[in-house]
Parts: sequence; structure tokens; C-alpha cells
Amino acid sequence: MTLSVTIPADAMQRPPAEVRYADELARLRAADDAPTPPGWALSLRAARAFVVGDDALGVTRKFVGDPSLIDRALVSLATNRGLLLVGEPGTAKSLLSELLAAAVSGDSTLTIQGGAATTEDQIKYSWNYALLVSEGPSERSLVPAPLLRGMAEGRTVRFEEITRCPLEVQDCLLSPLSDRVLAVPELPGGAGMVFAKEGFNIIATANTRDRGVNDMSSALKRRFNFETVFPIADFDTELALVEAEAGALLRRSGVTVAPRRDVLEVLVTAFRELRTGRTARGDEMDRLSGVMSTAEAVAVAHAVGLRGWFLRGTAGSAADLASCLAGTAAKDNPEDLAKLRRYLEQHTGWRAGAQWRELRDARRELPGG
Amino acid sequence: MSLTVIGVRHHSPACARLVGATIAALRPAHVLIEGPADMNQRIGELLLGHELPVAIFTSYADERRRHGSWAPFCEYSPEWEALRAARECGAETRFIDLPAWHEAFADRDNRYADAELRYAEAVGRLCESFGVDNSDALWDHVVEMGPDEGLAERLTAYFDVIRGDAEAGPSDTAREAYMARWIRAALADAGDRPVVAVVGGFHRPALLRLTASAAAGPGWPEIPQPPDGATARSYLVPYSFRRLDAFGGYQSGMPSPEYYQQLWESGPEQAARHLVTAVAERLRKRGQAVSTADLIAARAGAEALARLRGHSCPARVDVLDGLAAALVSEALDVPLPWAVRGTVTAGQHPAVIEMTAALSGDRHGRLHPDTPLPPLVHAATAELERHGLDRAGEHGADLLDPRGREISRVLHRLRVLAVPGFRRITGPATGIDPVLAERWTVQNHEQRLTALIEAGGYGPTLETAAAARIAESIDQAAGDLGALAGTLFDAALCGVTDLGEDVPERLRQGVAAGSDLPVLGRVLAVTLALWRHDRLLGTAGSEALAVVVAAATRRILWLAEGWHAAGAPADRGRIAAVAAVRDAVLHAAAVGVDRVAAVEVAARVAADRAAPPDLRGAFYGLGHVLAESFLEDPAQAVRGAFAAGTAGDWLAGLFGVAREPVLAPGGILGLLDELVTGFGAEDFLVALPALRQAFEYFPPRERETIGERLMAHRGVDGYARDLLRTTVPAEIVAAGLALDETVERRLAQAGLISAGETR
Repeated sequence: MTLSVTIPADAMQRPPAEVRYADELARLRAADDAPTPPGWALSLRAARAFVVGDDALGVTRKFVGDPSLIDRALVSLATNRGLLLVGEPGTAKSLLSELLAAAVSGDSTLTIQGGAATTEDQIKYSWNYALLVSEGPSERSLVPAPLLRGMAEGRTVRFEEITRCPLEVQDCLLSPLSDRVLAVPELPGGAGMVFAKEGFNIIATANTRDRGVNDMSSALKRRFNFETVFPIADFDTELALVEAEAGALLRRSGVTVAPRRDVLEVLVTAFRELRTGRTARGDEMDRLSGVMSTAEAVAVAHAVGLRGWFLRGTAGSAADLASCLAGTAAKDNPEDLAKLRRYLEQHTGWRAGAQWRELRDARRELPGG
Repeated sequence: MSLTVIGVRHHSPACARLVGATIAALRPAHVLIEGPADMNQRIGELLLGHELPVAIFTSYADERRRHGSWAPFCEYSPEWEALRAARECGAETRFIDLPAWHEAFADRDNRYADAELRYAEAVGRLCESFGVDNSDALWDHVVEMGPDEGLAERLTAYFDVIRGDAEAGPSDTAREAYMARWIRAALADAGDRPVVAVVGGFHRPALLRLTASAAAGPGWPEIPQPPDGATARSYLVPYSFRRLDAFGGYQSGMPSPEYYQQLWESGPEQAARHLVTAVAERLRKRGQAVSTADLIAARAGAEALARLRGHSCPARVDVLDGLAAALVSEALDVPLPWAVRGTVTAGQHPAVIEMTAALSGDRHGRLHPDTPLPPLVHAATAELERHGLDRAGEHGADLLDPRGREISRVLHRLRVLAVPGFRRITGPATGIDPVLAERWTVQNHEQRLTALIEAGGYGPTLETAAAARIAESIDQAAGDLGALAGTLFDAALCGVTDLGEDVPERLRQGVAAGSDLPVLGRVLAVTLALWRHDRLLGTAGSEALAVVVAAATRRILWLAEGWHAAGAPADRGRIAAVAAVRDAVLHAAAVGVDRVAAVEVAARVAADRAAPPDLRGAFYGLGHVLAESFLEDPAQAVRGAFAAGTAGDWLAGLFGVAREPVLAPGGILGLLDELVTGFGAEDFLVALPALRQAFEYFPPRERETIGERLMAHRGVDGYARDLLRTTVPAEIVAAGLALDETVERRLAQAGLISAGETR
């Protein structure tokens, strides 16, 4: 078995953004006549068009949200501060960071995944120990990690879930961000200082549910521009997104019927209400403590479609929705389950529509009901 | 005939420049402006030389509705610029829109709101294709930041897209038809001299169509008169940038007046620089750290954003975005206000709040001294002078002295009319509060004149205006009893006794909708006291209060009878409500409080096993007080209610309403003693806290009487007072009792004593 097989893009489970949208990037590059920041693959204007879309060039809109957020993010990346995307889980922060990296550097793969066990080795560099023992520290025995590569090659480095890393590990970003230099003290002479090439910057993401950005040192905070990504504000936009994404997932799973729009409307309405703790007509109710993001809604819509197709050979129904909600939205939290049951009992009856009625009738499908 | 219709956005500096330049160039015979036509005779008032911003405030009142609305002007309003330029070139100037009190404006507070917001779909499409967040950013991008050349064409294209084929709503249609008649009349009058009309851009396509499609009628259109029995008054008021920026939703117009004032005065570059400086100053004044590095970052960010968005120098949102990126270094709870378009909501980041405040600015307008003012302003000023209240500082009012009462009433009337600068420090808080003097602080607040002019819509004197305001509050408080009680007390303090014919009926409805027993009880107690006693405030015997007393009594009886919660612990508020009913039945029979009904309800609740024990006790007491022979066998009722777990609660209810049955010779004291003695030790401990609570209703002297009777009943000698004077805290006594009980039980279990032996 070999690991280094080059897989064609169409066989990859999920090709990176620069591969998925290679033709769009090529068109944007060809038409790009605005000044390009040093080290960037595209001008700011073309990079913006890559994310928010440009009908004239056939570039699709890839991120729904305020266009001004993209403007501010790109400008941050062009300055000497890093970009930190914060927000609730499932607000497409990682997607946005991938798109930005693909637009700015033409490469979104220099990624550090933050976690409790992340060490400086995985961020900066480590050693090939066999070579280290035989030759001593040298550029040959050095194994660069994403940060070192990004600095040396002048590219964008993505740092996912940065606040899940221990504080002292986060702080190793301080001098690369402020002095734009990384010291490799083991290497002799000038090789021991790696200076960042133009084009290097960091896009970090952090979610407000985990340990929270409060854990970041203020020294590091100062070196980032914060951009908060909010859940989609507009119902129709969210519905269209869920429809498109769930449809694509279902096709990939071999389901040949499209999800039903009326079921999706019920699903998106329920998600938005459980997320904000307020119904469409203004009743106050309990928010679920679990994550009720658009991404979760897509996952539920996918599961509903799978259930309907593989159990009965039809598109998913509102009854399927009830059972899928329990597993994906309430997870194993008994309180959320109770809140969900209360919601189905009290806030489905007064609405018009066969799907709401069916959802209400199916509330006994919830575990323990 | 040459007609130029300039479609503008209200409060847009770019449009104001266009209007000024067009009028100066054309030197038209007539300048027609979207504004209240009923002010045409008084256009001179606007040009007296005020400090802007000012607004035309119109108040309207008929039997159905009362409405106040504003037409604000600032220096960079195209309408204001049209007034100014028209006077300069000697053109005849007229307002051509319907009056503000007209039905077409019934749901509008701000005449100069953005009409296009009501037709949001087209705006949304435009924003998407320009890649901006909202209509304000779009407007800056297309109009304010664009070059002056071709502005008129850009505006036309912009509003044509927004209006599209959209059918305007009925109120816009009515206004457009009316404005078109004025334009036709002006064209007919002008002959071949030019006519310029300045109207909201949204109306321009329709006005051009309407003007072309029909011939002019004879003369100028008539000005609509308010219907019979209705009053409509318009006056100029000083306005402020803060208020101009505070309209929300469909009422909102261009945001950020201070920014656009700077833009109007000194251009976009200077406006952007001013904004950054103002925000930094504000934040530093609040003790927030804003480093030079932050300001450099903000500045650089704004420049970069401007370049990215194709602006020659930073626009409003470029500067704001740059500042937010540099100054906000944590996750936001709510989206940035300029991204979602709206007023600042709760949970906004402090730096963002200061940014929006800096954009709003704190400029205040000032009226020219010759401006006509509504009679209320003169009446209020005269009253303040007569009582020496025109100087700032502390003032006292002795309510026992007739002159003091008058001072107090003047100040309370001003307070009720929401005129700022009059604050009461001390004074009676309810009708039964034994405080007989008030202290007030009076400030010469800058908003005093504005508030008085706006309150002028309520009436010509302080007394009539306060009465109208209070009647309105009573309407708004329907169902909210706390607010209703507060309003009634305000009425008493203001010396407003005649609230109008239908107020008692509205009060009755308000009380009848109440659903909270304790609150109803408080309302009844306070109104009853005011109705019975208060000669000081002149409310004794007042008809409105009598209505409340009767209605609240009925409502309490109704609610109490339906209350089922067997075993619920005693609630003092609930008991107090029944006590209030007792007083009402005893003292207010004259106003229609029905004693027979009360006694019947009392008998039913006292015998209802599902009712909470304290209510049962309270109604037992109520029946006892109200009827000579309330129940055939009182002892049986007492025994029936006296379960160990709830006996204390029952007694609390009883004592809260009637202590007499215990104290009277031949009362139920003996029976109670027997029942309490009959408790097992465990039961007694359970009942103890509630029993203690129940006996707290007796004042110490009565407790001593009970002690004496009890000792006499048991044949024990001694001082009753010693029984009441315990040196050991109650918890320790209870703990000791529990310990005794445990020891006894263990001894009995071991067979060393037989159960109950030590007793």
C-alpha cells in the first residue's frame, strides 16, 4: 500500500476549493486588471468576486452573508494583522477560510487543525529523526509544518479552531504575526531565521461555543482582526442554501428524488425558531442548548431524505423529520429532547399546512415519547 | 411650459446640492416641495432664521385616534435647500403634499422616511448586484460618493429601478394624485416660465406620468380640512440629530446625521477624518484604550476598503468597517448596526455604540425667538414663573398648604406630559402613604421647549393637557393593572378629577381584564383608600375611583372562586386581596359593591375542598365579618379545614381577614386549642412554620390577649406576656422538640417506655 498516490479530482471525496473551482479562478485571473497585493494570486477585487460571485464571469456565489464581511476580511489579510473568524458552530467559518485562502494564495491546504493535543511541532516544524541523528540539524533533516511553509513560500496558513489549543501553543504565533519571522534555533547561521515572504498571513477560526475566545491572550488578540460570522439572517436565503446543499448530498448518496420543498420549509423554520428561542409569530420559548446551525439543518435534511428513500422509496416526509431531529439536533441531551418535545406539542398545532400537522402527529417518534 | 421634477432622497447632501444648483440655474417661477400643504400660509415661519435641525410637528386628535408626527429639516435636506434657494431667486414656494394629519399618514411618525423601504424587493436586488449590505451602503456608493456630473441621471435611473412597475399602496397613491394637482396648477400659472418640483424620488415617475395625463383644474388645489370635531395643529419644534437618527423600521430615513452634516459642509474626505477623530475621542473619554496603532490600522483599513469598493475616498461604511476591524477584538453578540440597517440594539459592543453615537452627533436645533408657539408653552411658562419654579434647583411643596398643593400639581402635570427636567426626589408613593411634603429638582433642560410644543397637542393649558395625556395612558394600560393603578395615582397627584365621560367605562374594562389576584388586591386597597379618605388630593368620592373599586371587587371574587390548588402554601398577596374585598364591602356599598354576592362566594370558597387552604380560611373570615350567621355550625367548618399539613395556611387566611372570631368571647379559641393539642408531635412540627406565620397577623397586644384567654381556658396561672417573650430563637426550640421526639421514639422502640408515656 502506498500513500502517495495522486488521486484525480473527481475521485476525491472532497477536493479543496482551488481544485473544485479551478476554472472560476482561472477566469478571474485572466480578467483581473486591478492591482494585486504583493504575494497574492488575485487582486482584492477578484478575490472578493470569487467569494461573493460575479455573474458576468460565471463565478458562483459561495458564501451567503454580508458582502462587507468579505471586504473587511480581505483587507485584514492584506494588512499586517491576521484574520480571526469567530462565530457559532456551523456558520461556515471553515468554508469561508478555505475560500479566502484559495483566492488569496491559490492554495487552501496549509491547514493546522487546532485541538487539545496540538503541539508546536504540528504548527512550526519537526525533525526527521533518522537524518537528525546521522547528520545533525540541517535543512535536510527539518520537516516543515504549515506555518513554516506558509512563511517561506508566502502563502496563507489556515488555523482551524485556534481556541481549542492550549494557550501556550497559541502564543507561538506571536512573533510570526508581529515580526514576521520564525526562529529555528537548531539551524546554524542565517538559516536559523526564516523571514516571511510577501503573501504570508494567517486565517484562524474559533467558535464561541467551545472554550471561547476569552482564552486567547490579549497579546495575540491584538495581532488579529476579529470578524464575527452570524447565522444566515434571511429565511429564504437559508432555505435555498439548505435545499441546494441537501440536494447535492442526497444525489451523492444515490437518492434520485429531490427533497420536498414544503418539508424543508418546516425544517428550516423549526431550526430558526429553536436557534433564536422565538417563534415566527413572536412567542418566547426555550432555545436548544445544542447547535442549530444551517450546517446541522443540511445534515438533518440529508438524513430525512435518506430515511424516506431507503425505507420507503419516496422523498422524506415531516414524520421522518421528527425522528431525525432527535438524533441530530437534540443529540443525547435529555433537556434538549424535552424542549424539542414541548416545541412539537405547543408550536406546531397553530400553524397551517399538512406538513406541520404531520410533524405534530409524529412527535411520539421522539425517543422516550 | 417646462417642468423639472427632482426626485430626491430626503436628508441627502448630494440631492440638496443638486436641488440648489438646479434652482439657481433655472430661476423658476414656482418651486414646489413635498411637504404639508396646510403650512403654505406659514412658510415664512420656516425662514425666520432658526438654527437647524428643526421640524414641523403636527398633532391630531379626534374621537378615534390621536397622532403626532414630524417633518424634520436639517441644513442638508433637499427640501430645506429648495426653500432657501427659492427665496434667493425670488420664486414662489409651496408645499404640495397632504397635511400630516391626513389618513394617508395615519401610521407614519416621520414624513421624510424612505418611501422605497416599503417596497423592499427591488432594493434587495440592487444591493445584491452591487455587492453591498443594504440600501444605505448602496446609496452612498451610487450617489453620495459618486461624481456630481450625471447625478440627476443616476438618481433617475436609481428610482426608476426601485419604482419599477410596482403598484404603490393606497396612501402613496392618494398623495401622488394630490401632488400632481399642485404641479399642474403651478404649470398653468407659470405660463412659459420654468417650474421646479422637489419630491421623494420614489414618487417622481408617477408624478411625471400623472402630470402629463390630465389637464389642470381651475386655480390651486384646495387644502383638506380636518373632519368636524377633530383638532389638528402644526408648530415648529427644535429638533436634534439624535432624534433624527432614532426612527426605526419603515419610519427611518438617512442614518448618521452628523456624518452627512460634515459631508455637506466640507466634503467626504473631511467627513471621514472627522468621524475617526470623533470616535477615538469618545472612546478615550469613556476610558477605553484606543492606541495610535489602532487608529493607524483603522485608517489604513478604511482606505483599503474604499479602494476595494471603488470609492475615491473612504465612504461612511468604509470608515466604520475599518474602525470595527481595528477596535473590536472579540466575538460580537449581534451584527454590526450598519450592516443590518436599523437602530442600535441591546448587546452591541461598546466601541460600536460609540461609533454610532459619533455618527449621530449631538447637534440641537434652536427656534428663532419670533416663532409662534402653541398656547401650552405660554401657559406652562406663566405657571412656572408664578410659582417661582422657573429657576433651576430644589423646590419643596407642602401638601397641607393650598399653595404647596398647587405647586405640586403644576410639577406633576409637567412630569406626566414627559417634559424633561422635573424630577421628584421625595413624596407620597401611594395614596395611603403618610408623606405630606414633596421635594423636587428643577433643571433648565434643553429639550424642555421641544417637549412642551409637542405636548401642546394635548391641550392649551397644563390641566387640560395632563387630563388628556392621562386618559390616553388609561387606554394604553388596558389589561396592565399595575400601570392602570399608577396612572390613577398620577391623576390624583395632578389634581385631574374630571377624566372625561368614557374613562370610567374604560377603567372598568381594564380591571375586568386583570388576572393577577395579588395585583388586583393592591389596586383595590389603594383606590379604596384614595376614594374614602383622600381629601388632600381631592379624590375622596371620585367617580372614576368608585368604578375601579366596584369592578376590582367583582373581579377578585370571580378569580378567587375559580382558583383550585388544594395544599398550596399561604400567599400574603392573595390574603390581602380578600382583606381588600372585605373593606370594599364594608365601606363602599354605595358604589355598587354587592354584599350578598360576596357572602355567597365566601360560603362556597370556604367549603371548597379544591381551593387553596389560605383562601378557604380567608373567605371563612370574610363571611364571618360580613354576615351575622355565616355558617350554621362554624365549629364544623373549622374542623373540616384543619388538616395537619394545611392548618397553618388556613389560619393565616383567616387571621389575615378576620381576627375577631378568635378574640371575641365565645369565639373559636377553645376549639383551636383543642385541635392543635390533638396534633401528633411530627404533625405539629410540620405545621409550626405556617402557624407562626398565621399568628403574625395579630399585633402584640392581641397576642397577649390570646395568651391570657388560653391560660384561663386551661386553668393555668401566670403572666401571658411571659409566653410571648421567648429568649431562645424559634429554630432552636423546634430543633429541641425534634430531638425530644427522636429520643422518645428510640426509648419506646427499645421498650424502655410505652409510647406517649411522657406526655
